[in-house]
Amino acid sequence: MNGQPMLLLTIISEAVLESTLIDEIMAMGAKGYTISEARGRGTHGIRSGKWSASGNIRIEVVGDSDLCRHIVDNLQKYERDYGLLIFTSQVELLN
Amino acid sequence: MSFEPVVLFFLLGVIAGLLRSDLKIPGSIYEALSIFILLAIGLKGGVELSKYPVGDLLLDGVIIVLVGALIPLVAFPVLRYLGCMNRADSASIAAHYGSVSVVTFSVGIALLGQEALQFEGYMIVFLVLLEIPALVIGVILARHGQGGIRWGRLLHEVFFGKSIYLLVGGLLIGWAAGSEGIKPLDNLFFDLFKGVLALFLLEMGLVASSRIAELRAYGVFLILFAMGMPLFSAALGIITGWSLGLSVGGSFLLATLYASASYIAAPAAMRIAVPEANPALSIGASLGMTFPFNIFLGIPIYLWMAQWIHTYGA
Repeated sequence: MNGQPMLLLTIISEAVLESTLIDEIMAMGAKGYTISEARGRGTHGIRSGKWSASGNIRIEVVGDSDLCRHIVDNLQKYERDYGLLIFTSQVELLN
Repeated sequence: MSFEPVVLFFLLGVIAGLLRSDLKIPGSIYEALSIFILLAIGLKGGVELSKYPVGDLLLDGVIIVLVGALIPLVAFPVLRYLGCMNRADSASIAAHYGSVSVVTFSVGIALLGQEALQFEGYMIVFLVLLEIPALVIGVILARHGQGGIRWGRLLHEVFFGKSIYLLVGGLLIGWAAGSEGIKPLDNLFFDLFKGVLALFLLEMGLVASSRIAELRAYGVFLILFAMGMPLFSAALGIITGWSLGLSVGGSFLLATLYASASYIAAPAAMRIAVPEANPALSIGASLGMTFPFNIFLGIPIYLWMAQWIHTYGA
Protein backbone atom coordinates (compact mmCIF):
# COMPACT_ATOMS: atom_id res chain seq x y z
CA MET A 1 0.00 0.00 0.00
CA ASN A 2 1.54 3.28 -1.03
CA GLY A 3 -0.11 6.25 0.54
CA GLN A 4 0.79 9.88 0.79
CA PRO A 5 3.27 10.49 3.65
CA MET A 6 1.84 12.89 6.22
CA LEU A 7 2.24 13.80 9.87
CA LEU A 8 -0.29 12.96 12.55
CA LEU A 9 -0.19 15.73 15.16
CA THR A 10 -1.57 14.68 18.55
CA ILE A 11 -2.32 17.17 21.32
CA ILE A 12 -3.35 16.07 24.81
CA SER A 13 -4.92 18.91 26.75
CA GLU A 14 -7.37 19.77 29.51
CA ALA A 15 -10.92 19.46 28.22
CA VAL A 16 -11.65 23.06 29.17
CA LEU A 17 -9.36 24.26 26.34
CA GLU A 18 -11.26 22.42 23.62
CA SER A 19 -12.90 25.32 21.83
CA THR A 20 -9.85 27.58 22.20
CA LEU A 21 -7.49 25.01 20.67
CA ILE A 22 -9.90 24.14 17.87
CA ASP A 23 -10.17 27.81 16.92
CA GLU A 24 -6.36 28.05 16.78
CA ILE A 25 -5.97 24.84 14.77
CA MET A 26 -8.56 25.77 12.18
CA ALA A 27 -7.14 29.31 11.91
CA MET A 28 -3.75 27.77 11.06
CA GLY A 29 -5.30 26.13 8.01
CA ALA A 30 -6.04 22.57 9.17
CA LYS A 31 -8.73 20.84 7.10
CA GLY A 32 -10.20 19.07 10.10
CA TYR A 33 -9.54 17.37 13.41
CA THR A 34 -10.64 14.45 15.58
CA ILE A 35 -11.29 14.74 19.30
CA SER A 36 -11.57 11.95 21.83
CA GLU A 37 -11.91 12.07 25.58
CA ALA A 38 -8.87 11.01 27.54
CA ARG A 39 -7.59 10.57 31.05
CA GLY A 40 -4.21 9.82 32.50
CA ARG A 41 -1.30 11.12 34.50
CA GLY A 42 1.41 13.65 33.74
CA THR A 43 3.47 16.42 35.26
CA HIS A 44 0.26 18.18 36.29
CA GLY A 45 -0.90 15.17 38.31
CA ILE A 46 -3.70 12.70 37.73
CA ARG A 47 -6.40 13.75 35.30
CA SER A 48 -9.05 11.24 36.31
CA GLY A 49 -11.80 12.32 33.92
CA LYS A 50 -14.28 11.62 36.73
CA TRP A 51 -15.99 14.95 36.16
CA SER A 52 -15.82 17.83 33.76
CA ALA A 53 -13.08 19.79 35.52
CA SER A 54 -10.68 16.83 35.58
CA GLY A 55 -11.13 15.56 32.02
CA ASN A 56 -8.58 15.60 29.22
CA ILE A 57 -9.05 15.48 25.48
CA ARG A 58 -6.89 14.14 22.67
CA ILE A 59 -6.97 16.23 19.49
CA GLU A 60 -5.62 14.66 16.32
CA VAL A 61 -4.84 16.52 13.12
CA VAL A 62 -3.33 15.09 9.93
CA GLY A 63 -1.30 17.49 7.83
CA ASP A 64 2.06 18.24 6.24
CA SER A 65 5.04 19.28 8.29
CA ASP A 66 4.50 23.00 7.61
CA LEU A 67 0.99 22.91 9.00
CA CYS A 68 2.07 20.93 12.07
CA ARG A 69 4.95 23.35 12.70
CA HIS A 70 2.57 26.34 12.43
CA ILE A 71 0.13 24.79 14.87
CA VAL A 72 2.82 23.81 17.38
CA ASP A 73 4.39 27.30 17.29
CA ASN A 74 1.02 28.85 17.82
CA LEU A 75 0.16 26.65 20.79
CA GLN A 76 3.37 27.48 22.69
CA LYS A 77 1.55 30.24 24.60
CA TYR A 78 -0.72 27.70 26.31
CA GLU A 79 2.06 25.40 27.43
CA ARG A 80 3.13 27.25 30.56
CA ASP A 81 -0.26 27.23 32.26
CA TYR A 82 -1.97 24.19 30.81
CA GLY A 83 0.88 21.73 30.29
CA LEU A 84 -0.08 20.48 26.84
CA LEU A 85 1.47 17.28 25.52
CA ILE A 86 2.17 17.60 21.78
CA PHE A 87 3.79 15.05 19.49
CA THR A 88 3.80 13.98 15.86
CA SER A 89 4.07 10.61 14.19
CA GLN A 90 4.61 9.58 10.58
CA VAL A 91 1.48 8.27 8.89
CA GLU A 92 0.44 7.40 5.37
CA LEU A 93 -2.77 8.88 4.12
CA LEU A 94 -4.56 6.19 2.13
CA ASN A 95 -7.49 8.05 0.67
CA MET B 1 -29.44 19.53 65.49
CA SER B 2 -31.33 19.03 62.23
CA PHE B 3 -30.01 16.36 59.91
CA GLU B 4 -30.83 15.41 56.36
CA PRO B 5 -30.10 11.72 55.63
CA VAL B 6 -29.43 12.31 51.93
CA VAL B 7 -25.94 13.58 52.85
CA LEU B 8 -25.03 10.04 53.94
CA PHE B 9 -24.77 9.15 50.24
CA PHE B 10 -21.90 11.62 50.01
CA LEU B 11 -20.19 9.82 52.88
CA LEU B 12 -20.77 6.49 51.13
CA GLY B 13 -18.98 7.89 48.06
CA VAL B 14 -16.09 9.31 50.07
CA ILE B 15 -15.53 6.01 51.87
CA ALA B 16 -15.67 4.08 48.58
CA GLY B 17 -13.02 6.43 47.18
CA LEU B 18 -10.76 6.24 50.22
CA LEU B 19 -10.97 2.43 50.34
CA ARG B 20 -10.29 2.24 46.58
CA SER B 21 -13.53 0.45 45.84
CA ASP B 22 -14.12 -0.16 42.14
CA LEU B 23 -17.37 1.82 42.38
CA LYS B 24 -17.45 4.28 39.52
CA ILE B 25 -20.28 6.36 38.13
CA PRO B 26 -19.84 6.72 34.35
CA GLY B 27 -19.12 10.28 33.17
CA SER B 28 -22.24 10.41 31.00
CA ILE B 29 -24.45 9.49 33.97
CA TYR B 30 -22.81 12.20 36.04
CA GLU B 31 -23.55 14.68 33.25
CA ALA B 32 -27.17 13.50 33.03
CA LEU B 33 -27.65 13.77 36.80
CA SER B 34 -26.25 17.30 36.86
CA ILE B 35 -28.51 18.35 33.96
CA PHE B 36 -31.50 16.91 35.84
CA ILE B 37 -30.63 18.75 39.06
CA LEU B 38 -30.04 22.10 37.34
CA LEU B 39 -33.28 21.86 35.35
CA ALA B 40 -35.33 20.68 38.33
CA ILE B 41 -34.06 23.52 40.53
CA GLY B 42 -34.71 26.03 37.74
CA LEU B 43 -38.25 24.72 37.11
CA LYS B 44 -39.07 24.75 40.82
CA GLY B 45 -37.90 28.37 41.07
CA GLY B 46 -39.82 29.38 37.95
CA VAL B 47 -43.07 27.90 39.22
CA GLU B 48 -42.67 29.76 42.53
CA LEU B 49 -41.65 32.95 40.75
CA SER B 50 -44.89 32.91 38.73
CA LYS B 51 -46.76 33.46 42.02
CA TYR B 52 -45.00 36.75 42.77
CA PRO B 53 -44.97 40.09 40.93
CA VAL B 54 -41.42 40.17 39.58
CA GLY B 55 -41.04 43.94 40.14
CA ASP B 56 -41.30 43.46 43.93
CA LEU B 57 -38.17 41.32 43.92
CA LEU B 58 -36.01 43.87 42.17
CA LEU B 59 -34.82 45.78 45.24
CA ASP B 60 -34.24 42.59 47.25
CA GLY B 61 -32.32 41.16 44.31
CA VAL B 62 -30.05 44.20 44.04
CA ILE B 63 -29.29 44.19 47.78
CA ILE B 64 -28.65 40.42 47.85
CA VAL B 65 -26.28 40.61 44.89
CA LEU B 66 -24.41 43.64 46.30
CA VAL B 67 -23.95 41.98 49.71
CA GLY B 68 -22.95 38.75 47.92
CA ALA B 69 -20.28 40.68 46.00
CA LEU B 70 -18.65 41.49 49.36
CA ILE B 71 -17.71 37.81 49.81
CA PRO B 72 -14.94 37.63 47.16
CA LEU B 73 -13.82 41.14 48.15
CA VAL B 74 -13.34 39.97 51.75
CA ALA B 75 -11.91 36.57 50.80
CA PHE B 76 -9.26 38.02 48.46
CA PRO B 77 -7.28 40.12 50.99
CA VAL B 78 -7.58 37.34 53.59
CA LEU B 79 -6.01 34.83 51.19
CA ARG B 80 -3.48 37.28 49.76
CA TYR B 81 -2.19 38.87 52.96
CA LEU B 82 -3.08 36.50 55.81
CA GLY B 83 -2.51 33.38 53.75
CA CYS B 84 0.43 34.87 51.77
CA MET B 85 -0.86 33.33 48.53
CA ASN B 86 -0.09 34.78 45.12
CA ARG B 87 -2.50 37.14 43.37
CA ALA B 88 -3.85 34.62 40.84
CA ASP B 89 -4.56 31.88 43.38
CA SER B 90 -6.12 34.34 45.86
CA ALA B 91 -8.39 35.77 43.16
CA SER B 92 -9.38 32.37 41.82
CA ILE B 93 -10.22 30.97 45.28
CA ALA B 94 -12.10 34.20 46.14
CA ALA B 95 -14.20 33.72 42.99
CA HIS B 96 -14.99 30.10 43.94
CA TYR B 97 -16.23 31.23 47.37
CA GLY B 98 -18.20 34.17 46.01
CA SER B 99 -19.91 31.90 43.50
CA VAL B 100 -22.49 29.35 44.63
CA SER B 101 -23.09 25.59 44.70
CA VAL B 102 -26.39 24.26 43.41
CA VAL B 103 -25.99 20.93 45.22
CA THR B 104 -25.33 22.59 48.60
CA PHE B 105 -28.45 24.69 47.99
CA SER B 106 -30.39 21.52 47.08
CA VAL B 107 -29.36 19.85 50.33
CA GLY B 108 -30.59 23.00 52.13
CA ILE B 109 -33.98 22.72 50.37
CA ALA B 110 -34.15 19.02 51.25
CA LEU B 111 -33.56 19.88 54.92
CA LEU B 112 -36.31 22.52 54.87
CA GLY B 113 -38.65 19.90 53.39
CA GLN B 114 -37.76 17.48 56.15
CA GLU B 115 -38.33 20.14 58.84
CA ALA B 116 -41.58 21.24 57.13
CA LEU B 117 -40.36 24.85 56.97
CA GLN B 118 -41.61 27.22 54.27
CA PHE B 119 -39.29 29.37 52.19
CA GLU B 120 -39.64 32.02 49.50
CA GLY B 121 -39.54 30.00 46.29
CA TYR B 122 -37.99 32.87 44.38
CA MET B 123 -34.71 32.32 46.29
CA ILE B 124 -33.72 30.24 43.28
CA VAL B 125 -33.56 33.42 41.20
CA PHE B 126 -30.88 34.68 43.57
CA LEU B 127 -29.00 31.43 43.07
CA VAL B 128 -28.66 32.38 39.41
CA LEU B 129 -27.84 36.03 40.10
CA LEU B 130 -25.16 35.22 42.67
CA GLU B 131 -23.24 32.96 40.31
CA ILE B 132 -22.23 35.78 38.00
CA PRO B 133 -20.67 38.77 39.86
CA ALA B 134 -18.16 36.73 41.87
CA LEU B 135 -16.60 35.27 38.73
CA VAL B 136 -16.26 38.72 37.17
CA ILE B 137 -14.81 40.18 40.40
CA GLY B 138 -12.36 37.25 40.64
CA VAL B 139 -11.03 37.94 37.16
CA ILE B 140 -10.69 41.67 37.82
CA LEU B 141 -8.81 40.97 41.06
CA ALA B 142 -6.48 38.55 39.28
CA ARG B 143 -5.78 40.92 36.41
CA HIS B 144 -5.59 44.11 38.45
CA GLY B 145 -3.63 46.67 36.42
CA GLN B 146 -2.42 44.09 33.94
CA GLY B 147 -5.09 44.16 31.25
CA GLY B 148 -5.41 41.22 28.89
CA ILE B 149 -8.76 39.89 30.11
CA ARG B 150 -10.49 37.78 27.50
CA TRP B 151 -13.95 39.07 28.41
CA GLY B 152 -15.65 37.52 25.41
CA ARG B 153 -14.59 33.98 26.30
CA LEU B 154 -15.24 34.54 30.01
CA LEU B 155 -18.75 35.96 29.61
CA HIS B 156 -19.60 33.24 27.12
CA GLU B 157 -18.44 30.64 29.65
CA VAL B 158 -20.45 32.30 32.45
CA PHE B 159 -23.73 32.81 30.61
CA PHE B 160 -23.70 29.84 28.28
CA GLY B 161 -21.93 27.36 30.53
CA LYS B 162 -24.41 24.60 31.35
CA SER B 163 -25.09 25.75 34.95
CA ILE B 164 -26.47 29.19 34.24
CA TYR B 165 -27.98 28.18 30.93
CA LEU B 166 -30.04 25.31 32.37
CA LEU B 167 -30.98 27.17 35.55
CA VAL B 168 -32.22 30.18 33.60
CA GLY B 169 -33.90 27.94 31.00
CA GLY B 170 -35.68 25.97 33.74
CA LEU B 171 -36.72 29.21 35.47
CA LEU B 172 -38.24 30.60 32.29
CA ILE B 173 -40.05 27.36 31.42
CA GLY B 174 -41.36 26.99 34.99
CA TRP B 175 -42.40 30.65 35.06
CA ALA B 176 -44.21 30.39 31.70
CA ALA B 177 -45.93 27.12 32.62
CA GLY B 178 -46.99 27.99 36.18
CA SER B 179 -47.88 25.36 38.77
CA GLU B 180 -50.82 23.96 36.76
CA GLY B 181 -48.95 23.80 33.48
CA ILE B 182 -45.97 22.02 35.00
CA LYS B 183 -48.11 19.27 36.62
CA PRO B 184 -47.38 16.63 33.94
CA LEU B 185 -43.66 17.03 34.67
CA ASP B 186 -44.04 16.89 38.46
CA ASN B 187 -43.41 13.15 38.66
CA LEU B 188 -40.09 13.37 36.89
CA PHE B 189 -38.63 16.63 38.12
CA PHE B 190 -40.05 17.11 41.60
CA ASP B 191 -40.97 13.68 43.01
CA LEU B 192 -37.72 12.06 41.91
CA PHE B 193 -35.56 15.02 42.91
CA LYS B 194 -34.29 13.69 46.20
CA GLY B 195 -33.39 10.29 44.77
CA VAL B 196 -31.39 11.88 41.98
CA LEU B 197 -29.74 14.20 44.50
CA ALA B 198 -28.71 11.11 46.48
CA LEU B 199 -27.06 9.54 43.41
CA PHE B 200 -25.35 12.83 42.58
CA LEU B 201 -24.02 13.11 46.14
CA LEU B 202 -22.64 9.57 45.86
CA GLU B 203 -20.67 10.65 42.80
CA MET B 204 -19.60 13.90 44.49
CA GLY B 205 -18.26 11.82 47.37
CA LEU B 206 -16.18 9.72 44.97
CA VAL B 207 -14.76 12.85 43.32
CA ALA B 208 -14.18 14.63 46.63
CA SER B 209 -12.37 11.65 48.18
CA SER B 210 -9.35 12.16 45.93
CA ARG B 211 -9.29 15.82 47.00
CA ILE B 212 -9.64 14.98 50.68
CA ALA B 213 -6.66 12.65 50.46
CA GLU B 214 -4.54 15.54 49.16
CA LEU B 215 -5.69 17.91 51.89
CA ARG B 216 -2.49 17.78 53.89
CA ALA B 217 -0.59 19.29 50.98
CA TYR B 218 -2.70 22.44 51.02
CA GLY B 219 -1.53 23.65 54.42
CA VAL B 220 -3.38 24.53 57.59
CA PHE B 221 -4.29 28.04 56.48
CA LEU B 222 -6.37 26.90 53.51
CA ILE B 223 -8.16 24.27 55.61
CA LEU B 224 -9.09 26.90 58.22
CA PHE B 225 -10.14 29.29 55.46
CA ALA B 226 -12.34 26.60 53.87
CA MET B 227 -14.29 26.28 57.14
CA GLY B 228 -14.11 29.86 58.43
CA MET B 229 -15.12 31.62 55.22
CA PRO B 230 -18.50 29.83 54.88
CA LEU B 231 -19.34 30.65 58.50
CA PHE B 232 -18.62 34.34 57.90
CA SER B 233 -20.58 34.33 54.62
CA ALA B 234 -23.50 32.52 56.25
CA ALA B 235 -23.67 35.12 59.04
CA LEU B 236 -23.78 37.79 56.33
CA GLY B 237 -26.65 35.90 54.67
CA ILE B 238 -28.65 35.44 57.86
CA ILE B 239 -28.38 39.15 58.72
CA THR B 240 -29.24 40.21 55.15
CA GLY B 241 -32.21 37.81 54.94
CA TRP B 242 -33.54 38.88 58.30
CA SER B 243 -33.14 42.60 57.48
CA LEU B 244 -35.04 42.11 54.21
CA GLY B 245 -37.88 40.43 56.10
CA LEU B 246 -37.41 36.94 54.65
CA SER B 247 -38.83 33.93 56.52
CA VAL B 248 -36.64 31.62 58.63
CA GLY B 249 -36.40 29.25 55.64
CA GLY B 250 -35.56 32.12 53.28
CA SER B 251 -32.82 33.55 55.53
CA PHE B 252 -31.41 30.04 55.97
CA LEU B 253 -31.30 29.45 52.20
CA LEU B 254 -29.65 32.82 51.60
CA ALA B 255 -27.03 31.93 54.23
CA THR B 256 -26.51 28.55 52.54
CA LEU B 257 -26.08 30.26 49.16
CA TYR B 258 -23.55 32.76 50.50
CA ALA B 259 -21.70 30.04 52.39
CA SER B 260 -21.47 27.61 49.46
CA ALA B 261 -18.47 27.54 47.13
CA SER B 262 -18.72 26.69 43.46
CA TYR B 263 -17.04 23.63 41.97
CA ILE B 264 -18.74 23.40 38.56
CA ALA B 265 -19.10 26.88 37.03
CA ALA B 266 -16.19 28.61 38.77
CA PRO B 267 -13.44 26.07 37.98
CA ALA B 268 -14.24 26.17 34.26
CA ALA B 269 -14.49 29.97 34.14
CA MET B 270 -11.34 30.52 36.24
CA ARG B 271 -9.31 27.98 34.28
CA ILE B 272 -9.98 29.97 31.13
CA ALA B 273 -9.78 33.49 32.55
CA VAL B 274 -6.97 33.05 35.13
CA PRO B 275 -4.89 30.17 33.71
CA GLU B 276 -1.89 30.80 35.96
CA ALA B 277 -3.93 30.03 39.10
CA ASN B 278 -3.48 26.49 40.41
CA PRO B 279 -6.85 24.70 40.07
CA ALA B 280 -5.84 22.04 42.61
CA LEU B 281 -5.92 24.69 45.36
CA SER B 282 -9.30 26.20 44.58
CA ILE B 283 -11.08 22.92 43.78
CA GLY B 284 -9.39 21.20 46.71
CA ALA B 285 -10.64 23.86 49.11
CA SER B 286 -14.16 24.20 47.68
CA LEU B 287 -14.89 20.54 46.95
CA GLY B 288 -12.54 18.77 49.36
CA MET B 289 -13.28 20.89 52.42
CA THR B 290 -16.07 23.45 52.12
CA PHE B 291 -18.63 21.24 50.41
CA PRO B 292 -18.48 18.43 53.03
CA PHE B 293 -18.22 21.02 55.82
CA ASN B 294 -21.36 22.75 54.57
CA ILE B 295 -23.53 19.68 54.08
CA PHE B 296 -22.61 17.97 57.36
CA LEU B 297 -22.02 20.84 59.79
CA GLY B 298 -22.67 24.16 58.09
CA ILE B 299 -26.26 23.64 56.97
CA PRO B 300 -27.56 22.55 60.41
CA ILE B 301 -25.63 25.47 61.97
CA TYR B 302 -27.09 27.98 59.48
CA LEU B 303 -30.62 26.73 60.19
CA TRP B 304 -30.00 27.15 63.88
CA MET B 305 -28.60 30.66 63.27
CA ALA B 306 -31.66 31.61 61.20
CA GLN B 307 -34.04 30.32 63.87
CA TRP B 308 -32.09 32.13 66.57
CA ILE B 309 -32.09 35.55 64.86
CA HIS B 310 -35.78 35.27 63.99
CA THR B 311 -36.58 34.44 67.62
CA TYR B 312 -34.31 36.89 69.43
CA GLY B 313 -33.43 39.38 66.68
CA ALA B 314 -36.39 41.67 67.20
